[in-house]
Amino acid sequence: MTELAQREVVEPLVASTVLPRTHARPDTAEVRRFTSGVRIGDLLALLGAAAAALALTTLISSQIAPMRGVLAFVVVAYALFLVVYAVLVSLDETGPVVRDRVIAVLVQSGAFLLVGTLASVLVYTVGRGFRSMLHLNMFTQDMTLAGPLDPLTRGGVMHAIVGTLIQISIALAITIPLGVTTALFLSEVPGRFARFVRTIVEAMTALPSIVAGLFILATFVLMLGFDKSGLAAGLAITVMMLPIMIRAADVVFRLVPHTLKEASLGLGAGQLRTVLHVVLPTSRSGLTTAIILATARGIGETSPVLLTAGFTASLNANPLSGPMVSLPLLTFQFVKSPQQTMVDRGFGAAVVLMGLVLVLFVLARVLGSQDVAKRAARRQRRRARAVRRQALTRRAAALVRRSAPADPDHSGSSHRSTSA
Amino acid sequence: MPSRLRGLVVTAVLATVACLGLTSAPAMADAYTPITGEGSSWAANAIDDWRASVVNAGIKVNFAAAGSVAGLTGFAQGNSDDFAASDIPYGVKDTSPDPPGRAFAYIPDVAGGTALMYNLTVAGKRFTNLKLSGPTIAGIFAGSITRWNDPKIAAENPGVALPPLKVTPVVRSDGSGSTAQFSLWMAKQFGSVWKCGQISFFTQCGSYKATTHQAKSGDNGVAGFVAQAGNAGSIGYVEYSYALQSGFPVAKVLNKAGFYTLPTASNVAVALLKAKITMTPGPTYLTQNLDGVYVDPDPRNYPISSYSYFVVPTQLQNGFTNPKGKTLSAFVRYALCDGQQKAPTLGYSPLPINLVQAGLNQVKRIPGAETAAIDIKKCNNPTFSADGTNTLAKNALYPDLCDKSTAKAGCVYGTPSNGSKSASTGGQGDQNSVGAKPTGTGSTTTSTGSATTGGAGTPVVGGAAPGATTAGAASGAGAGAAAGAGAGAGTGSGGQVSILNPDGKTSCDPDTGQCTQLAASPAELPLDHVSAVSRWAVWLMIGLLLCLILAPPALVLSSRKAKS
Amino acid sequence: MGLAIELDDAPAAEDRPRRIKLVRDTPDKIFRGVATGSGVVVLSIMLLVGVFLSVRAFQALKRAGLSFLTTRAWEPDAGHFGVAAVLTGTILIAFVAVLIAFPLSTATSLYITQYAPDRMRSLLVSVIDLMAAIPSVVYGLWGFFFLQAEVAPVAAWISRHFGWIPLFRVDGVQKDDPLPSMTVFTGSTLIAGLVVGMMITPVVTSIMREVFSQVPIGEREGAFALGATKWGVIRSVVLPFGKGGMIGGTMLGLGRALGETIAVYMIITPVFAVQPHILQSGAISVSSLIALHFAEASPFGLSALMAAGLTLFLLTLMINFAASSVVARSRSGASS
Repeated sequence: MTELAQREVVEPLVASTVLPRTHARPDTAEVRRFTSGVRIGDLLALLGAAAAALALTTLISSQIAPMRGVLAFVVVAYALFLVVYAVLVSLDETGPVVRDRVIAVLVQSGAFLLVGTLASVLVYTVGRGFRSMLHLNMFTQDMTLAGPLDPLTRGGVMHAIVGTLIQISIALAITIPLGVTTALFLSEVPGRFARFVRTIVEAMTALPSIVAGLFILATFVLMLGFDKSGLAAGLAITVMMLPIMIRAADVVFRLVPHTLKEASLGLGAGQLRTVLHVVLPTSRSGLTTAIILATARGIGETSPVLLTAGFTASLNANPLSGPMVSLPLLTFQFVKSPQQTMVDRGFGAAVVLMGLVLVLFVLARVLGSQDVAKRAARRQRRRARAVRRQALTRRAAALVRRSAPADPDHSGSSHRSTSA
Repeated sequence: MPSRLRGLVVTAVLATVACLGLTSAPAMADAYTPITGEGSSWAANAIDDWRASVVNAGIKVNFAAAGSVAGLTGFAQGNSDDFAASDIPYGVKDTSPDPPGRAFAYIPDVAGGTALMYNLTVAGKRFTNLKLSGPTIAGIFAGSITRWNDPKIAAENPGVALPPLKVTPVVRSDGSGSTAQFSLWMAKQFGSVWKCGQISFFTQCGSYKATTHQAKSGDNGVAGFVAQAGNAGSIGYVEYSYALQSGFPVAKVLNKAGFYTLPTASNVAVALLKAKITMTPGPTYLTQNLDGVYVDPDPRNYPISSYSYFVVPTQLQNGFTNPKGKTLSAFVRYALCDGQQKAPTLGYSPLPINLVQAGLNQVKRIPGAETAAIDIKKCNNPTFSADGTNTLAKNALYPDLCDKSTAKAGCVYGTPSNGSKSASTGGQGDQNSVGAKPTGTGSTTTSTGSATTGGAGTPVVGGAAPGATTAGAASGAGAGAAAGAGAGAGTGSGGQVSILNPDGKTSCDPDTGQCTQLAASPAELPLDHVSAVSRWAVWLMIGLLLCLILAPPALVLSSRKAKS
Repeated sequence: MGLAIELDDAPAAEDRPRRIKLVRDTPDKIFRGVATGSGVVVLSIMLLVGVFLSVRAFQALKRAGLSFLTTRAWEPDAGHFGVAAVLTGTILIAFVAVLIAFPLSTATSLYITQYAPDRMRSLLVSVIDLMAAIPSVVYGLWGFFFLQAEVAPVAAWISRHFGWIPLFRVDGVQKDDPLPSMTVFTGSTLIAGLVVGMMITPVVTSIMREVFSQVPIGEREGAFALGATKWGVIRSVVLPFGKGGMIGGTMLGLGRALGETIAVYMIITPVFAVQPHILQSGAISVSSLIALHFAEASPFGLSALMAAGLTLFLLTLMINFAASSVVARSRSGASS
């Protein structure tokens, strides 16, 4: 249907006479026709509207209503651009087309704005974290030896990196087995009880993460008298992550085709065997993605950690006693400081955190794309490509043979190069 | 189970186990058990510095600058905290939590001044010589003074055209000892302007309005807000060290003697000579009564000075153990003795000998303390002297007459124009001990006692205007001299001290003797911004126009080329 | 053998439905036991959280009574506390966030499903998903250090020219101030809402994209064949089909926005008053109230915080359930 839409606006750009072919080489001389729906008039309208909007905004901002800041300028310019563009298009188009064009601009700029925002978040954070990242000690030291007066060459965020990994490991060690078995329970042992559990789990996904932290603070730390520690933080993340994990895994398990399960049962396999050999392998990639995305969510969570982990400047690898700081918490505490070095370190920690999340995310993408269907599709595509290549080779060989039958060497080399 | 998933689980579990296993090794290697505390962000810079200094001795201290009230609360509840740091004691009505169930003692850890850090630009340059009196400060924080060009502020800063910018008082959003000490001073001295009494939650004060105030958590949060470039016109109360670290100026505050003073280590030391310390044993032992500080007639007094305290357990409760007591006592001992050495550099003031002595006696009450090691004679504290007086207070410089409330407009000395750190940390007293300088009206030479007592690491910045006829004899600097040498630690080098000539129009750099004309209009900055935008847009316009003119022929040419 | 069906020997008289008895072997029994067991564990954890919160919150609610809903101040130890201000603040911030997120995510998901070239499409999907995974503290940094300074002049401009609308009024700002202070416009509901909006946009976008991509191809092509423009197709086919998903996704985003803590806490200047002027400095939310006061809360203060947290939880719960029922009832949601 996209082609349909394009076809209605396609017009031949250049009308030129086609000369009768004198050479009998039709397949090399044929040029693929340019079928874009973009007309030069459209481009000119866009450019003209942009120029007019910029000029008008400059006039307004400097002469009529002075405003401060680049953002205000951009906003006003954009609004003017839309108006001018609509007027320009309406000069030679009908109402519906004008609306279509304006909406297209709106939609595209919305997408652009969103991506631009992401880019600005990333670039700004990396840009400000860059200065501290230049020092290797940022990754190899903690803040134990760095007092308030020390420069960036002293002290780092190693303790927070270790803390983040320990806390998320604790949370994963609890949530993965518990979450996956519970999700299996929901999909494999259906019944009134399972429905009740599912409702409660769905309700708990609404639990604000800071309330999860508050719960652990009130019970584990204050009532049971444990330290504010890595374990407490890990538990708080667990309470937050568990419903998310169960829900995601449940959705994945429910996507397993019933026919597969029934086939397994019909062949005489028990329920456990069906789960182990049909359900889990089928949903493997989906499950991995769910787990990794939940992990990314848990790693970046600050508020439950803020309440339960305490704060320290030194490396503490013992989750059972003493405060243990994590990357988001360290970022949050450091950037408050009026001191430039501290803020730089905070931004550096944020960059490290984003790096961790990015690695997890890419991992999820790579593992998640290994879907059964996708793998099959890829195999098919590979086969098709091979077939096409063979056909091409054959045709090229034929061509070479036809054009230079007396030169077997040349033919051979071209054959090799096309097949390579 | 699929192998990859199993692998993931196994890895996660192994990682946890490995981490658990890792911990036992370093714990055994240490002779000291790690301890954890939280509390005052006012004193956090000092505590953080001590914490970093004792690491090499094997002492591991975790400290979270969560605020005084959070520290007191955390110490009272649960087992997480082995000690607390607080600027206020337990049980102050409406200000701090009730005394906890566990046994505790107060130990003063450091003294300091609650400084008024501000971000203000005058004539395109950061203004660094603000003078404020108590009622004005109370008016600012109570919200009755809303503009920087308010007549009250202008009257105290003669000759300076402060901009008609909104004053934005930045306060603490959390429960804070800084707020408590600051509000106590205002409530006791200027109760007619400040009506909220002593509070630790500023946001609970009726004068707090989000339209006038800004509230941030922690002294670092307040200082961080003031230090942001866009927040011009803001003023916040923080410990002096935060201003020093961020390179921002603090206001000189008027004392009872009629002098505007800075919260330097020596001025705070002088002020706290008048603090009344509760010496009767009991739960309030060693707590402070600062009424005398507020009304001290000494011209060097900085009125908003106070002590901050450690709260330490005296019994094995709430998870406190003897090994922890050993660590805590060693840490506090370091803080009271060697730790005080660095206090002036950080922006605090060292404790006097009587408080160190009393504090060390309190340390002995911590269960598990190594009492044998506690000896006042081994204490290496800069305030100690042979005759028992406070060296720092005795040698404190007297303020310049230009800092007297009656000083004329022509008597303005600029302070380091960039507020640069090197200048500020070069030593206390660099700003208020500017040497004698005769004014154009021929007033008498000033600061009689100041330069003769330049010892104890107090550099004297002696200066005289290039056009001056005679320089103050006591300053030790000749006419036109730049920075007078200070006997002791650093000289006041690095900081560029600009001096305003009596005509109030020319600023002179004492290092080079170069004088520059000061621009008169203060309201230039935002206008400048507008023109910057439009200038940028104009360039863009020109570029676009060029594109528009050049693009069509180029297009035609290229299409022709393609056709041929 | 997993399943064995035992047939009862029927008495030949008449055909009755046979009784089917399921006999499971030991591994299956263990599996079901373990699965049910973990279900019970999870359920008890969740119920423990819920019940504990409710019990502790009830202590505070009992003391405050109905005034809990009408009091604006937060001084639990003085017995003077309520959620009137914080709840309003939370809803205002979430409202601004949704106001930003809804058009942005509609545009983005329409672009991805209707406009973008194939290669761009998968890239964009990845980018949006990545955006959803960025930690909130990073958004907070960006908002506090970057966005705030950029938005303040715009807010100033809006308040100067549209200050007559109560929502945009800013107290204490004179219209012709020669030297306007930007601090009045920092830490406002608008900036917090903008940042939260940027955080929930990817979540909402991915739900909307999912829905839009399920639009029946026949209907779309039919519309094109009838000569509709792209916008015509979107308006008459895509949007009506995806309506339920759009509303549901936005409400899920709203649920996320209500619970966001750190980014809001970093940006706002807390104020305990109902403050409907979104451009003006001063905002509050339930979660930032908890972050602000948990450390210095007495046992009773903690109960009061839990009461506030419970209120927020119930609010989010209601919105989430409403969202899922809207999605389930819509045409697009039936298949997902």
